[in-house]
Amino acid sequence: MLPVLLHISVVMILSPLLLGIIGKTKAFFAGRWGPPLLQPYYDIVKLFRKGNVYSTTTTWIFQAAPIISLATVLISAVLIPMGSFKAPLSFWGDIILFAGLYGLARFFLVIAALDTGSSFEGMGASREATFSCLAEVVLFLDFIILALLSKKFVLSEMLEANILSSWPLFGPVLLLVGASYFLVLLTENSRIPIDDPATHLELTMIHEVMVLDHSGWDLAYILYAGAMKLFVLGGLFLNILIPSHGLSPMAQTISFWGGMIVLAVGLGAVESCMARLRLNRIPQLLIGAFVLALVGLLIILVKGV
Amino acid sequence: MNFFLYSLLVLSVSIVLLMLTSRSKKTSEIIFLISQVTGCVLALISAVHVFVSRVPINYRSNFRMPVGEFYVGVDFLSAFFVLTVTVLFSLAGVYGYSYLKEYEKKNLGAHYALYNLALISLLLVVTAKNAVLFLIAWEMVTLSSYFLITFYDKEKAVRKAGYLFLIATHTGTFLLWIMFLLMARQSGSMNFDQMALSSFPLPLTGLLFILGVIGFGVKTGFIPLHIWLPHAHPVAPSHVSAVLSGVMIKMGIYGLMRIIGIIKDFPEWCAVVLLLIGMISGVGGVLYALGQHEIKKLLAYHSIENIGIIALGMGIGLWGQFYHNEFVALVGYAGALLHVFNHAVFKGLLFLSAGSVIRSTHTGEIDHLGGLLKRLPWTGHLFLIGSLSICGLPLFNGFISEWLVFRALFEGIFDSQMNALVFSSLSIIALALIGGLAAACFAKAFGAVFLGNSRSVENAQVKENPLLMCAPMVVLGGICLWIGLFPATMVFFALDAAATISSVKIPPAVAGAIMIPLLTVILVLVIFTMLVAVLFLFKRIAMKSLPIERASTWGCGYSVPTSRMQYTAASFAEPILQIFRNVLGFDVKGSKPKGYFPKEEKISSHVLEASEDLIFRPIFQGIEFLTAKLKIIQYGYTQLYLLYIFIFLLILLIWKMV
Repeated sequence: MLPVLLHISVVMILSPLLLGIIGKTKAFFAGRWGPPLLQPYYDIVKLFRKGNVYSTTTTWIFQAAPIISLATVLISAVLIPMGSFKAPLSFWGDIILFAGLYGLARFFLVIAALDTGSSFEGMGASREATFSCLAEVVLFLDFIILALLSKKFVLSEMLEANILSSWPLFGPVLLLVGASYFLVLLTENSRIPIDDPATHLELTMIHEVMVLDHSGWDLAYILYAGAMKLFVLGGLFLNILIPSHGLSPMAQTISFWGGMIVLAVGLGAVESCMARLRLNRIPQLLIGAFVLALVGLLIILVKGV
Repeated sequence: MNFFLYSLLVLSVSIVLLMLTSRSKKTSEIIFLISQVTGCVLALISAVHVFVSRVPINYRSNFRMPVGEFYVGVDFLSAFFVLTVTVLFSLAGVYGYSYLKEYEKKNLGAHYALYNLALISLLLVVTAKNAVLFLIAWEMVTLSSYFLITFYDKEKAVRKAGYLFLIATHTGTFLLWIMFLLMARQSGSMNFDQMALSSFPLPLTGLLFILGVIGFGVKTGFIPLHIWLPHAHPVAPSHVSAVLSGVMIKMGIYGLMRIIGIIKDFPEWCAVVLLLIGMISGVGGVLYALGQHEIKKLLAYHSIENIGIIALGMGIGLWGQFYHNEFVALVGYAGALLHVFNHAVFKGLLFLSAGSVIRSTHTGEIDHLGGLLKRLPWTGHLFLIGSLSICGLPLFNGFISEWLVFRALFEGIFDSQMNALVFSSLSIIALALIGGLAAACFAKAFGAVFLGNSRSVENAQVKENPLLMCAPMVVLGGICLWIGLFPATMVFFALDAAATISSVKIPPAVAGAIMIPLLTVILVLVIFTMLVAVLFLFKRIAMKSLPIERASTWGCGYSVPTSRMQYTAASFAEPILQIFRNVLGFDVKGSKPKGYFPKEEKISSHVLEASEDLIFRPIFQGIEFLTAKLKIIQYGYTQLYLLYIFIFLLILLIWKMV
């Protein structure tokens, strides 16, 4: 139980920092000084001190969605190896369960948006449901490949030793998996070029529109869950790309946390250099991600495992 | 075994009594309720007893027909289906009694009798050990379902749907006769256990498989054989839709499983065919469902989707059987079987709650409803449970069976066979896509019907339905949660039945290999629930000192929003349908407003039913054309017909001599 709690607390404490780094990077690119590094923490703490406004249209579902969303992300944190910290929990098909739990959280966020009876939020909910369908398919294809490489279907076993031994033989495949997973990461965390986390006052937004009516503690939960989701999915991304297994604990720690910072800076750089895609281009991007992973699968098929 | 026969006896007697007493409403209602409950409970006990005592039982009566005999038996596979049939039938029956109360004028005695007849014939289908008995029971199912579907026979659409159902299923039955006759010819007996002993040569098994897949597939609703299904399910009374979708269409699955159990050695392509059918039906079903705006039609298409998931499980199971990979075979079949049960429960629940909505509001058009969760709290929350289950989300039963299918498919990719790898991977991707699309579809359905504001004034004042309609739904919802959180019992039942299909003993290690990850899943779900509770309490305590305001939904600065401005179900599904527009095809009438000063324009768009318009309509038009040509030999002269008979006899005679 102790490693589980430790793992979860590390994620809880450090995840908003990632958003802070992204913010700083974007400010740097824009030539501004930008908000302080700890701004995401301040935002969340501020929201925890605020009261709530509930629409008279809403039911309990509107209030349940943020809680389910946060609980899902918290519990999914235990799956990801973080440097020298091993994943405290792993079992056959853990990925299916967590895909399912993320699906549950998303389902509740979507129906919570419909619960407000606002066309604006309905629009966001519809788009979120659409794009996450495609993202989920890409995610499963990535895991099929990782499972094929490791002959296992336990997340930490698919990552640790296997990634190290697969890089020399299947480097291109892992790069393709990494690229397609990166697009899933962007979609799931509603980052540019799929979605713009900075604003909701555009008819083209997705996630931010969906949670427009939430306030106070509910919004704090949603923002906090968003920060942790970026951390968890980003951590998974690093585990695919950096074969740190077998190194000394020190080197593992440095490579993981260093990688996290680089990832945050990278995301900031991407967001500074790119505009958000038009909405009808997003399915194309996700299908592109699917094709990338499919090419990876084909390479394995041709080459044999 | 006696319990099972008593159950059949009680139901048969009740049919006679219902016919006799149909004039007295009260009496027939009482007979119906008592016979449903006792009949189902007796059959249920016998099924559970088979699992517990581990002794399959047979009953062979002395009564013999020329080719068939009354030979029934309950092995694990039959027991599993008896379980499924009785659970849903009894609950839907109680619901139906309450649901139909408003039809005072109708002769309900006949309806009740037919409902009991459908139950008997379904029980006979899943326990028949003789092909002739099986086919007779199969026909009884079709006929009784036909009359149940056409309950509202004053409406033209209802009669048309019933007719379509009758034609489609009879076409299937025709192929089944051929299949069973071929099997009997090979084995020299119409009895299933005799057939199982004989061996079938390879080209014949392929032919039998094709006949079986088409013959059973029509009833089951494999795409593209499903055309009757989306017409028949919505027009039937809701409790009938529930049993049609939950149980009746599963008889095709039972039949296929029984055939697989008898013939055993199928070529590899049969497994591939099942997997392909699973993928097409699964993804196609849910995509068509997304395009529907009538709640029962939407649910009908979801039945096709779930049949697809079941076919995926069966396909990978058959594949495992071919390569003697017992683990994959067992888990695949068990996943398919458990999904049969789960689908019966959650789809039954969904149809019953949809019926409750329709009874209260008198409409099933999703975009005319809204905000019903506050008006119909029981119905609404139970529909939510059903939705979460059908989307395969954790905590509910759909997740457990999809988990098993995933398990089999992932084991499939580790096999060194190239084909297995390719088709398992494709199936996994299809299953993931089905999950995502189903979640979108049910977010749409639940959100538009139960959340937000009412879209029409009349619906704002509706009331919850009586207790006898809610109670069966509560039980079904309870079963969804029970299997979702305590899956062991049903998983073991499904494994037993799966072992019957692949005729292997379950190795002790297999049970552990399946159950240990599944129990870890449950552990994680328990922690998850605790986390939800903790986060809720945190918020609850903190909010005590913070102000809570109630206001109307923010209208982005617009001050007088109306309920008609809500996002509709049609708009919600549009982006997904647009992505798949090349696969689906739309029928768009009218046009969008053009220019700077547009005139009034109307536009309507429907998803095309491709197999109906592109496959079946041309075929049947062709048949009509050919039969019209045959008219030239019809003159109406008796002499001429005598001549035909003479010529025919002559041909037979010559054929015999040669």
